[in-house]
Amino acid sequence: MLITFGMIFVFFLALVALLQSIKVDDSSFSTYAVGNRSFGANFQAMSFLNTWYPGAMFTAFGGMAAASGVISFYVLSYSLLTVMLMYLMAKTVWIWGKAFDLKTQPDLFALRFNSKHIRTIAAIIGIISGIPWLVLGMQALGEMFKYLSLGALSFSHSVILGVVVIAIRQVWTVRIGMRGVVISDYFQGVVAYIFGTLMLIGLTLWLIYAKEITFSTLDAAKFSLPSIGSKEGPLYLFSLMLTGALGGWCWPYIFVRLFTADGVKSLKKSAALAIPLSMIFGIALLVFGMLGGGLSEVKEHPNEVWFIVSQLAGGPILLGLSGVILLAASMGHIDGNIQATGAQIANDLLGNYFKLDTRQLIIISKLGMLSLTVLSSWLACLELPALFSLAVLAYQGIIQLAVPQFLGIFWRRGNQYAAICSMTIGFIVAVLLELTYPGSISWAYGLTSGAVALVVNLAVYVSLSLLIPLSSQEKARIADLFSVIDRSEKLYKANKSSTLTRYGNEKLTS
Amino acid sequence: MKDNLSLIVKAWFIFNVIITLAPPIYWYANNLKHHLFGLPPTIFYFLIISLSITSSIVYAYIVEKENGRIE
Repeated sequence: MLITFGMIFVFFLALVALLQSIKVDDSSFSTYAVGNRSFGANFQAMSFLNTWYPGAMFTAFGGMAAASGVISFYVLSYSLLTVMLMYLMAKTVWIWGKAFDLKTQPDLFALRFNSKHIRTIAAIIGIISGIPWLVLGMQALGEMFKYLSLGALSFSHSVILGVVVIAIRQVWTVRIGMRGVVISDYFQGVVAYIFGTLMLIGLTLWLIYAKEITFSTLDAAKFSLPSIGSKEGPLYLFSLMLTGALGGWCWPYIFVRLFTADGVKSLKKSAALAIPLSMIFGIALLVFGMLGGGLSEVKEHPNEVWFIVSQLAGGPILLGLSGVILLAASMGHIDGNIQATGAQIANDLLGNYFKLDTRQLIIISKLGMLSLTVLSSWLACLELPALFSLAVLAYQGIIQLAVPQFLGIFWRRGNQYAAICSMTIGFIVAVLLELTYPGSISWAYGLTSGAVALVVNLAVYVSLSLLIPLSSQEKARIADLFSVIDRSEKLYKANKSSTLTRYGNEKLTS
Repeated sequence: MKDNLSLIVKAWFIFNVIITLAPPIYWYANNLKHHLFGLPPTIFYFLIISLSITSSIVYAYIVEKENGRIE
């Protein structure tokens, strides 16, 4: 236990030293919320990965690969499609972000649809949907500490320890804001996805050569996918990948990454850098998981495959490293979630209805982050048997932002009524369907509740966009919005503050 | 939105969406009995998708950078 916990301690000390070295800059809310749009491609790439791939990749998805086999690869497919979406959105979202000083995902909704209230709706959906996932992330660290304690700590004590570690880490998230998040994401990402991938490859080779486990020794059922006549339904896999790819960008803490880059080039280059690493990490993890599932010890506890194999192959040293890697992966997701929520509370809830200066916005943001940290820490220590179901429900709900978000970016016809109605109706339909038909829906050939709701959502959005004509003023405003994208990005980069259009720095309100 | 992606990139991106999401493709992979290049067909299916998506984005960036489309 000394070795395993010692390694965690050393990693945490190094991280704290890095965070302490970052200068606090509260000169503007843009600096606090989006790091003043100052990060180059390398930081962007690693920050995206560290926010996208939580520690649960090693446990939940490694475990899924061990228990269920090749179907787990759906996470890789949709994760890569997500990067493709980022590449397509990069120019529009970054330029709008810079030109109009957008700091959050709801800011973009408000700009595009010329509606103050849509900002509030999108923020509430985003904040509430993120809480169960935050709590799950904290609890996953409890599993880690329990394993690394080699049985010395009970699960409840392990969860408390994990919560304490994460809560301490949030001191710097609250203090520094987005700059601290992105810089620490870089360090955490190198540990989690570069060293993590090397360790996964090493352990895979150990499984093949020391344990003689290969694809050919695994049960043939591990290589089957839900198809025609399967229990899950023929469209189940399609549903998982579609909702995964579209839903990824609905999370506010993922979306805000589009605003932190120093330009469209950095954003696109970060996609080109992140994707090969994402592919290699994903393949390494899932192949490792599948082969690890061949061990009898893993068959009984598939979600512990990462720890079990590490300990078998390398004793307490590799076990300690496995904990460090999982902690590094977890932190990016957790602090990203907390930072984005704090910014939204200030910018999109209170700031939407009260005129707040920079200092007030930052203070409210910090209080929001602190409150969320305390709330999630407390919830993580409770027995919440419905937590995972709640998280799945929340996911089916938040992906309903996808229709107005993507169609708002790629299509000029949508209006605020279409956006508000479609995502609200989509959310309600998703929740009702998930409560009635958890998992896949048999009468929908295996589609998930979120996917069915997306169809309804899309129908409402397109119908109302076509049926409700835009006023000539709104048509001109939207034309101007899209024409902004065509102008040189250099104009925006040269200006430290956003001006350039007739809207200036004012928030668009209806 | 005008992002001026080349025709090849656009077609490649559409191809990626089709091969990843189109159910008949993974149904077909699931029904194959023989290994492909030594790999189970479903594993091969996911690897090909991954390689295609990854390569397309790297290619898109390199082409856009060389053509001066990204400033």
